[in-house]
Amino acid sequence: MNSILIIIGKIIVAVLRLFRRNAGNLPGIVLWHLTKGKCCKMFKVDCPIIAVTGTNGKTSVTNCIAQLFEQNGKKIIINKEGNNLDTGICSLLLRHCNIGGKVNADYLIFETDESHVPVVYSQLKLETLVVLNFFRDQLDRNGEMETLIQKINSFCKTFEGNLILNGDDPNTARLGRANPDNKNVKYFHAKPYAFATETIFEASEGRFCPFCGEALEYDYYQYSHIGKFCCKKCGFGNYEPYITAENIDLEKSVFTADGHEYSPKLNSIYNIYNMTAVAAAAKLYNIPENVTDNVISNYTINNGRMEAFMLGDRKATLNLAKNPVGANMTLRVMNEMQTEKELLFVLNDNIADGLDVSWIWDINFSVFDRVTRVVTSGTRAYDIAVRIKCSGYPAEKIIVCPDLDAAVAELAKTDGRKFVIANYTAVQPTRSALKRYSEKHGGKNE
Amino acid sequence: MNKIKILHMYADMLDLYGDSGNMEIIAYRCKMRGIECEIDKYSIDSEQPDFSSYDLIYIGGGADLEQQHISEDLVKCRNGIEAAYKNGTFLFLICGGYQLMGKHYRDADGVDIPGLGLFDYYTIAEPNRKKRCIGNVVIRTEFTGKTVDIVGFENHGGQTNGVKTPLGEVLYGHGNCTKSSHEGYFEKNVIATYMHGPCLSKNPEVSDYIIGYCLNRKIDTAIELTPLDDKLENDCRQVMIERLLKK
Repeated sequence: MNSILIIIGKIIVAVLRLFRRNAGNLPGIVLWHLTKGKCCKMFKVDCPIIAVTGTNGKTSVTNCIAQLFEQNGKKIIINKEGNNLDTGICSLLLRHCNIGGKVNADYLIFETDESHVPVVYSQLKLETLVVLNFFRDQLDRNGEMETLIQKINSFCKTFEGNLILNGDDPNTARLGRANPDNKNVKYFHAKPYAFATETIFEASEGRFCPFCGEALEYDYYQYSHIGKFCCKKCGFGNYEPYITAENIDLEKSVFTADGHEYSPKLNSIYNIYNMTAVAAAAKLYNIPENVTDNVISNYTINNGRMEAFMLGDRKATLNLAKNPVGANMTLRVMNEMQTEKELLFVLNDNIADGLDVSWIWDINFSVFDRVTRVVTSGTRAYDIAVRIKCSGYPAEKIIVCPDLDAAVAELAKTDGRKFVIANYTAVQPTRSALKRYSEKHGGKNE
Repeated sequence: MNKIKILHMYADMLDLYGDSGNMEIIAYRCKMRGIECEIDKYSIDSEQPDFSSYDLIYIGGGADLEQQHISEDLVKCRNGIEAAYKNGTFLFLICGGYQLMGKHYRDADGVDIPGLGLFDYYTIAEPNRKKRCIGNVVIRTEFTGKTVDIVGFENHGGQTNGVKTPLGEVLYGHGNCTKSSHEGYFEKNVIATYMHGPCLSKNPEVSDYIIGYCLNRKIDTAIELTPLDDKLENDCRQVMIERLLKK
């Protein structure tokens, strides 16, 4: 029966490829129906599986961990296109298995959607789970965040493999208590960076101890609810870190972990946390130091994450923001720059974005510093315009252009530094629009 | 200078889907008109305030866990909130805040959380956690004296029954129960609704109804609110109404 399913799957992959269609998800969807939802069960995997989950940073951390093994000479399989649901992982394995369903690799490294961790790894044996953070994101798709954490928590109750957790996020650190018999729980942690605060700066969740209900106390907040927390009543948060990032200097873009200095290319506090998770995985798998250093120091991305564009002679930086945390981060970077600047905000509400856009009200626009003009675009261009207006920003400086090319042209009309924030489904169209403008009006893109 | 006093309850716990944005909008619309707007916060174990001294009490929505945390505390405030409501304080309640003012809330596990019982309605959570009323919602209202279609976003498992005076008639979306005909609860000094978005972001008439009520509740000659430029808000709503209601 297994072989028949796999042959069917492989035929679908072949046909889709013949017509040059993306076979990233559809074969898995068909098999999902044929197997009544158990589309990953038919594969025979003997090698270790490492999964990365969390709201932000999955793609970066998955790619880096894959490079650790790849540069160490191992054969790996990774879901690079971000097809991170059970059907996406099934489609990927279909391309890499033989007729018997046997998958040939040294390691499988999968970015896995938060809600699909229990689904996929009840069917495939997981060796290591890396959990980065939990923020409000696409709540209407996943149900409320607590439900989501509960799902992963129930999975962790019987999980005996390695659990690498962000020890500075109470939402992820709590998973370390799900299975008291699991001796393989490892927390990563970071000492405060220059912009860490004593009080919370941005909207957040998880302010109360999930075990006893007491308000959590923080020594410092790095961003949002990420920071050194502890429950004075039951001791939640008192753990020995497996690895600690310290001497974080974002201006020089360096940090140390376990005594080694790293110089990542992306210098944000987010990326420091992501790279600390990578360093934890490297430590666990005894990756040679020069390989880890090479991966952490060279990792960069051209997919709308702090990506640079030139609009004529004007520099523009595009950053993806799927949630308030991502957007607040861009506002921080904007404010840290001591010149006048303009912002284009592109907001869509397609299904993959989550139909609800109210998360924009958790963005702290009142911190706007020397922002001389705002252009808004996307399917919810007016919503973001209203939100920025109600934060006290002058309405006459807000221009709504639902059409993206018109919005980019409007942004490029004036001199000066430009920033662009786009949410999930808006990023690729925005990149294309920025490139189209550059091609037409000059400007080299990095 | 004209002034309104607001008590925002459990702002640190009940702030789902941008609900705190409603307070930002009220404060913004007051500021644009030179009306002073004082917002106090109350949370679990704060000292009991004099609820009746406020013109408006606001409670947002939260996740189930947070809702359980606050319900015990809210019961302690029952007498104060009831006296304020009877004294004419405006109650603006979203989602969880709406549910907890009714008789009771039965959660998805069948456990009854007692409400304050200010109003006759009651809420039963859909036992299947996956079956939620989620999506954009458009309702037709008459409470401002004019026909106004308002737009928001709902996401609730709770089915609220026994509402005699709803806020509006559902044109798109679910409303109080799955595929129901009406949404929310209304009295002259109560607006309770499942609408997030936040609710006031593209419905300026609702904001101004609340502000107008608060300003005028204690005086004989009504103060007219200065009109504001609501072009962005109105365009924002119009885009959604055209998208959702076109067949």
